[in-house]
Amino acid sequence: MAEAAYTVASDSETSREEKSSCTFPETTIGIDIGTSQCRVAIWNGSQVEILKNSRNQKMMSSYVTFKDGTPSGELSNQLSADHDMLSGAAIFNMKRLIGRVDTDPVVHSSKSLPFLVQTLDIGVRPFIAALVGNFWRSTTPEEVLAIFLVELREMAEIQLKRPIKNVVLTLPVSFSRFQLTRIERACAMAGLHILKLMPEPTAVALLYTLYAKQSGFQSTDRNVLIFNMGAGYCDVAVSVTAEEAPRGISEIIALTGSAIGGEDLLQNMMRHLLPNAENLLTSHGVDEIKSKGLLRVATQNAIHSLSSQNSVQIDVDLGNGMKICKVVDREEFEEVNRAVFDECASLIIQCLHDAKVKPEDLNDVVLVGGCSYIPKIKNLVMNVCKKEELYEGMNPLEAAVSGAALQGYVASGVHDPFESVDVLSIQVTPLSVGIRADGNNFVPIIPRNTTIPAQREMLFTTSHDNQAEALVIVYEGDGEKLEENHLLGYFKIEGLPPAPKGVPQVRVMMDIDASNVLRVLAAVLMPGSHVPINPVLDVRMPTVDDGHGWCAEALHRAYGATQDLVSVKRI
Amino acid sequence: MSKKKLLTPLSSLLLLRRTLTSTPHFSIPHFQSRTNFSPNIEKLRPLFPLPGFDFPGKSFISSQFGNKPNSPHCWNCSAAAQTTPFLLCPSCRCIQPVDHSVDYFQIFGLERKYDSVEEHLEGKYKDWQKKLHPDLVHSKSEKEREYAAEQSARVIDAYRTLSKPLARAIYILKLEGVDIDEEETLSDLDLLSEIMEVREAVEEAPNSQALNLIQSLMQEKLKQWSNSFAEAFESRNFEEAVKAIWQMTYYESVNEEIVKRQ
Repeated sequence: MAEAAYTVASDSETSREEKSSCTFPETTIGIDIGTSQCRVAIWNGSQVEILKNSRNQKMMSSYVTFKDGTPSGELSNQLSADHDMLSGAAIFNMKRLIGRVDTDPVVHSSKSLPFLVQTLDIGVRPFIAALVGNFWRSTTPEEVLAIFLVELREMAEIQLKRPIKNVVLTLPVSFSRFQLTRIERACAMAGLHILKLMPEPTAVALLYTLYAKQSGFQSTDRNVLIFNMGAGYCDVAVSVTAEEAPRGISEIIALTGSAIGGEDLLQNMMRHLLPNAENLLTSHGVDEIKSKGLLRVATQNAIHSLSSQNSVQIDVDLGNGMKICKVVDREEFEEVNRAVFDECASLIIQCLHDAKVKPEDLNDVVLVGGCSYIPKIKNLVMNVCKKEELYEGMNPLEAAVSGAALQGYVASGVHDPFESVDVLSIQVTPLSVGIRADGNNFVPIIPRNTTIPAQREMLFTTSHDNQAEALVIVYEGDGEKLEENHLLGYFKIEGLPPAPKGVPQVRVMMDIDASNVLRVLAAVLMPGSHVPINPVLDVRMPTVDDGHGWCAEALHRAYGATQDLVSVKRI
Repeated sequence: MSKKKLLTPLSSLLLLRRTLTSTPHFSIPHFQSRTNFSPNIEKLRPLFPLPGFDFPGKSFISSQFGNKPNSPHCWNCSAAAQTTPFLLCPSCRCIQPVDHSVDYFQIFGLERKYDSVEEHLEGKYKDWQKKLHPDLVHSKSEKEREYAAEQSARVIDAYRTLSKPLARAIYILKLEGVDIDEEETLSDLDLLSEIMEVREAVEEAPNSQALNLIQSLMQEKLKQWSNSFAEAFESRNFEEAVKAIWQMTYYESVNEEIVKRQ
């Protein structure tokens, strides 16, 4: 068996200390790992250069195929990709699965993919496997991404003729911190050093800022809304680009995002084309995988056609006596996916609301990502933003990776005598972070859309008389219910002095530093004192690892409400 | 002790209707503490000594005692500081460590006056970010990257503080050595009942128009009290200034509640 192409790194290798060891200018590449496609780019000092693979393609499908125990990225075997997918040997859509547990609806919807995704529905990681001959070969999203990143790195090294280590990666807004650690792990396995992880629309905003600076608008501030929808995720950002000195700053005002994308459109359409498809979509027999693959390819092609024509003829033999012979028109497609489009519109409305920007105040609307070619998406973005036209200055498929490359160039400290790419992105937290308190509720401490770096503090107290211990359970997200948010970790404050409930003061401080590292600090004080009674607890989050889904429930079973905190009521 | 106060009928009523801000940045003063828990987050910071944190104590001690003994030098090229504030060395462009004796007004080259903050504050803030932001110094030494993180965080704090009238009022008063004393409010029952009424109106507002109406009322009040603060501060009548801060605090809290509902 051949040696794996990636290095297995220890967990500590993903830590920031390790990463900051490079101190001299090196080439930094930007990578946009999409759910279905990805790109690599470099900023050459004056413009972006999208790197091409050996077949001269700028866009590569995010596939890894498993053959005879040797996994390899799609870059080297595109021709067989469709065939591999039909045989169950190709693993893809890992960006939708990484860092998710098997109770997550996104994982459940991934069961219709033509390889094995198995769930036990208890909050552990799903079991994922590729079919190789007569074996299910198990893998993990991290492994698949690492294999793929190694191929991308090698491709960049061959083209740029120098070793590459530093990357700026773009990721969905809705990724939790736990998911980010999984991405960091995959990068470490691939020998890559992350300079920065950027939410996808903020990379686009940075590129927009550079273009605005170069073209020299005469107005004062430019509000721009970026809508980015790919196969796996939909993200929205509102950014302000100041036109007064200093120019070249993209200040992100609000971010919002969700795990909806082209994949959902595809699945809804597959179910529409083949009623009673549920059995087929959830089974993993060799024949069913082939049928699923055929259905998938046919549906995907039909959706692509519907972007440019009003109706399309679908004619496919799925085997086992299942045949689809049907004409589908655009209206039908839009009706089948109405819920997805509605959610897209509500994300834009939410983001404008958070940014306190009215549609009339938007100077530009930028629409990027693979789904931007869908007429309905274009229309709904223009409608909600009350615009007659969209910003035209960017390639929708290359905007995010170009922004990442630009950020990489700026961050690597390359001497820039003419200040031609003198740009800066001021980022905000995409998701709120807080703790469980006031019963089974989520109390945010750093709200979303807070400028990074940020420190915020809140005062809590005990919920029982003579409570000796208190659990600090840290969540991230913006769900109203606690369970809708991501559990990041937990720790216990011990040695609270005996006192009536409500008297001890538990101060919880959250700190997000410039590298986006979250720390949670907790101290206990008694009224009238400035000095914490015990050493202050200082915990770097996230602390959860695999199987974090059931941790919250396990805590609840073990402790009930005995170690609860309540927030201190204020007028 | 202070808990007893909590249980006076009026304040307990207020407590029930909490729903108020949980934005801890510039926390709203609360009844709980007669203790020394200032509602102001900055005062809490020495507890959690993280990079980028301010120790306001330091800053007004040195401003009270006037000039620093030596004018600072660049840690990298030893050039003497020619400017105040000295955040960045003009000769080698190295970012300097945080100097807590430089107050927020000095960072932006402003006079220490309540109304000296003009509209160019945002530009000045962004100017600093373009020089100090940690994203721009990835290739520099660990030491300088740390300075960048601290300086940049402090500039954000400074901007956030000075750009909001209430935060700015609390801050400028603190530079004069005056901390907000929460017991003050307990006596102002008129204000409390007024706020309770307003808040009830907010909760029962039938539509966004009604909310907007209350909001513009609140903003008017805020503006008035902000002017009273400026006057009181100018004439160094700190007692009146503190009173104005209390008023602003409550109107601001209602305002935040409205924003949440909008």
